[in-house]
Amino acid sequence: MATDDLTLVKRVRGGDQRAFKLLVERYQRKVYAVALGMLKDKEEAMDVSQEAFVKVYKYLDHFKGDASFYTWLYRITVNICIDIIRKRAGAGGEAVEFDETMPMDVSEANIGALGSRLGTNPQKSALRRELAEKIQEALAAVPEKHRAILLLREVEGMSYEDLSRTLDIPKGTVMSRLFHARAKVQKILSQYLELDEAKSGVGSE
Amino acid sequence: MAGNPACERFIPLLSPYIDGEVSPTERVNIERHLSACKACTGRAADLRAESGLLRVGLEMAVDEVDFKDFAQKVMARVTPEKPPVLERLRLSLSELFLYHRTAMFSSLATAAVLMLVAIPLLMGNRAPVGYAGERMTVQAVRTYDPAKLAPVVMETDDGSTIIWLVDQDAHSHGASPVLGDEADSDELELEEAPAGNTAPKPPPAQKEEPAPKGGSL
Repeated sequence: MATDDLTLVKRVRGGDQRAFKLLVERYQRKVYAVALGMLKDKEEAMDVSQEAFVKVYKYLDHFKGDASFYTWLYRITVNICIDIIRKRAGAGGEAVEFDETMPMDVSEANIGALGSRLGTNPQKSALRRELAEKIQEALAAVPEKHRAILLLREVEGMSYEDLSRTLDIPKGTVMSRLFHARAKVQKILSQYLELDEAKSGVGSE
Repeated sequence: MAGNPACERFIPLLSPYIDGEVSPTERVNIERHLSACKACTGRAADLRAESGLLRVGLEMAVDEVDFKDFAQKVMARVTPEKPPVLERLRLSLSELFLYHRTAMFSSLATAAVLMLVAIPLLMGNRAPVGYAGERMTVQAVRTYDPAKLAPVVMETDDGSTIIWLVDQDAHSHGASPVLGDEADSDELELEEAPAGNTAPKPPPAQKEEPAPKGGSL
């Protein structure tokens, strides 16, 4: 049975460096996945992941045991990513602000296309793979705050409660951002599917 | 937008529904709607497929990365091998102060005395403006009356004069010591001191710098 996070944190505070290494090894893949989803750039994502752990170590005394260690770790990761994205935007990149109140943009023509074409059928794994590769592109179209929520939900499987605590926003906001982020990703994937269909000239596989 | 007005109410709930984040009552309502609405069933399936895709897509990307050295690199950055220079300096100074206080004070005192002797000597070599580079010579050295001090005057090859004040309590010559020749025993002690422009280390008992008087051309 693996030692739980809080016990490890206590050991790190007591000067046990190996305990921190265990925490790094436990979360490195997920932290990297979040950073990559946020930034799209592999090298940058790697730098951010390291930076996040270094920061966590540095500020371990600020970590109050009342929240989970990982919510704190992800909060730091996401904040570093958002800083980088803002710097990029300041340097001439596009800054997309999302209007929470804007009407939903769900293309009616494609309802069920993604679900029916992917389903759970293992024979469709080629398409699944192809689309999975498109994911980072699709994510890049989602505004950063929405992207963070979607990533934390999918990568870590965080509950809405944890998401609300991690990102310091009300649960209702979590719900609506997640909904909008998913609609956006779906739209991009559906467009890709349509293109794919048009290319192959058949309606279905 | 969805033609069925009921869909409008349910569409935003589908996302929390597939996440298992709706109340049991809501869940029943949503499922009742889904059983009657093909479009919303398709929407829910899309959301599930998308969620799966995101996971697979990110996992594929993460699998491409080698994490073998990752933890090692992080540890190298958080393990303080060498504290910063200033920190080290501060530490060693405070240690010095804590454990070698006497040594530190005596060396500081030595340095101070050395300065007191060396600076006038060095200055003495520089001829003041208007003095045409000629040497000033000390004509008389006096101490304050009650001081039990005796001066020792030494001349170096280039004509510089070094004046020492030596504590007299071993001899106790009285209230007003006089110049040079009387400080016999102390002079012996000082003969070993190196001559030249560099000031030799004065005896610790030295208390006062004599005021060089005179300085006529």
